[in-house]
Amino acid sequence: MSRSRLVELAEAVADHVRPGDTVFLGGFGHSVPYGLAHEVLRQRITGLTVVKAGADIVLDELVAGGAVAKVIAGYVGNPGIGLAHGYARARAARTIEVEEWTNFSVVLRLEAARLGLPFLPTRVLRDGDLPSLLGERLATVICPFTGEPLTAVPALVPDVALVHAQRATAEGMVQLWGVAGDTVTGARAARRVVVTVEEIVPADQVRDWPESTILSGPQVAAICHLPGGAEPSYVAGYHGRDDAAFRRYDETSRDPDRLAEHLSALAVNR
Amino acid sequence: MKAGAEERAAHHAAREIGGEDVVFVGIGAPSVAAVLAKRTHAPDSTLIYESGVYDANPSGPPTSTGSPEVVEGAARISDMLSVFADLQAGRFDVAVLSAAQVDVRGNLNSSVIAPGSESPRLLVGSGGAHDISTLVDRLVIVMAHDRRRIVDEVDFVTSPRRGGPDRSTILVTSEARFDVTDAGLVLTGVRAGRDPDEVVAELALITPVTLRDPLEQLSEPGDDSLQAQRAFMAGSRG
Repeated sequence: MSRSRLVELAEAVADHVRPGDTVFLGGFGHSVPYGLAHEVLRQRITGLTVVKAGADIVLDELVAGGAVAKVIAGYVGNPGIGLAHGYARARAARTIEVEEWTNFSVVLRLEAARLGLPFLPTRVLRDGDLPSLLGERLATVICPFTGEPLTAVPALVPDVALVHAQRATAEGMVQLWGVAGDTVTGARAARRVVVTVEEIVPADQVRDWPESTILSGPQVAAICHLPGGAEPSYVAGYHGRDDAAFRRYDETSRDPDRLAEHLSALAVNR
Repeated sequence: MKAGAEERAAHHAAREIGGEDVVFVGIGAPSVAAVLAKRTHAPDSTLIYESGVYDANPSGPPTSTGSPEVVEGAARISDMLSVFADLQAGRFDVAVLSAAQVDVRGNLNSSVIAPGSESPRLLVGSGGAHDISTLVDRLVIVMAHDRRRIVDEVDFVTSPRRGGPDRSTILVTSEARFDVTDAGLVLTGVRAGRDPDEVVAELALITPVTLRDPLEQLSEPGDDSLQAQRAFMAGSRG
């Protein structure tokens, strides 16, 4: 049996999320790693490049809390409600750099990394105003078989992926079921993965149901037992989505002072 | 029962989905339209959400594509890469989208209003919209019948309309149905009883809008449509 990777949240983040890292955020509406993100804020880790196809308010909190230098994303908002206000203010004030991609192209960039390839070709990002903003981050390749011009999107290798899942063994077999969105692609593309889970389980429980195992082996850097670590998002089989919290966040985050209070409360309450 | 503007728009958009259509569905008005179609005249349609959920039958309006309402009753949960792979491979028949702005060429903006001004309004970004508008053969755009929403030229082209012989783009509002063509908007239908010139004038477009003759009269949503929409909005499968 391999060594235990089970550590406290503070230790996992201190050891594996470094200033300036490129960080992939797991979760997609479901199982969003709020607990890990809040620990990043608590430890005042800064200069991060955050990667996500479609990001919800966890990214807004990270930006407003000063952790982020750059965002690479297809969507940043408060899903179903509206804008990410802290993020929008930071963009307007140019305190963060933003690369605006699309959900598919972000996933393809991560998939290229997961495949160990320098790029993947696609038919998107050929027209409209996004390609000119992305400039040299895109290139055109000609298919050697058909002659079709395609857009090459470069591999994006996260230094670390932050993931919340239902359960894991102490040794790092991680099980996630329900909606994953871009979570598995991003986690498998990353150099290392830090995982919080609802439950730590013995290996035989995982081996009874291996089809739900999304990660195992040395890529998993740390496992933390953090029930509720995805709140206010939901976790299939554990708890529902706190829709009211997303509405409250919309109100709170409109006002920079109230948002700052909200963020400092996160830093105290753990 | 009397329909509100959003209910009429959803009703008109739902009519664009039929038979065994495989439908890529966005959040908000597109979800209402697609679920309405599935609950009324198109029970064999297949609804797909970008979070990776296939053959969904949402109980109520989801706030995000990964929300529990999308998952409940779905046939399959895959992942985002699979959904966009299927989109690029041409496995979906139609997509339903909305945006902050659409222009007469069918380009969508969900990035920024008034860029270059003193206070540009930064929006949420493409999400999957660019990928969908670029890759799908049949696109249905649902918008409020509002001159700020339907414009001559969007402030930023997040999601370009791709023309071509096998492609169609339809723009639907509470008052009208347009074909979007390389030459601009063609009004094909108008809310029954309304003056088509007045409906077009409300959008205050500079680019001329062509009126098809004869124009289809778009019926008001009946009680079955309204009941289905309202049950969905209340989170009921009723």
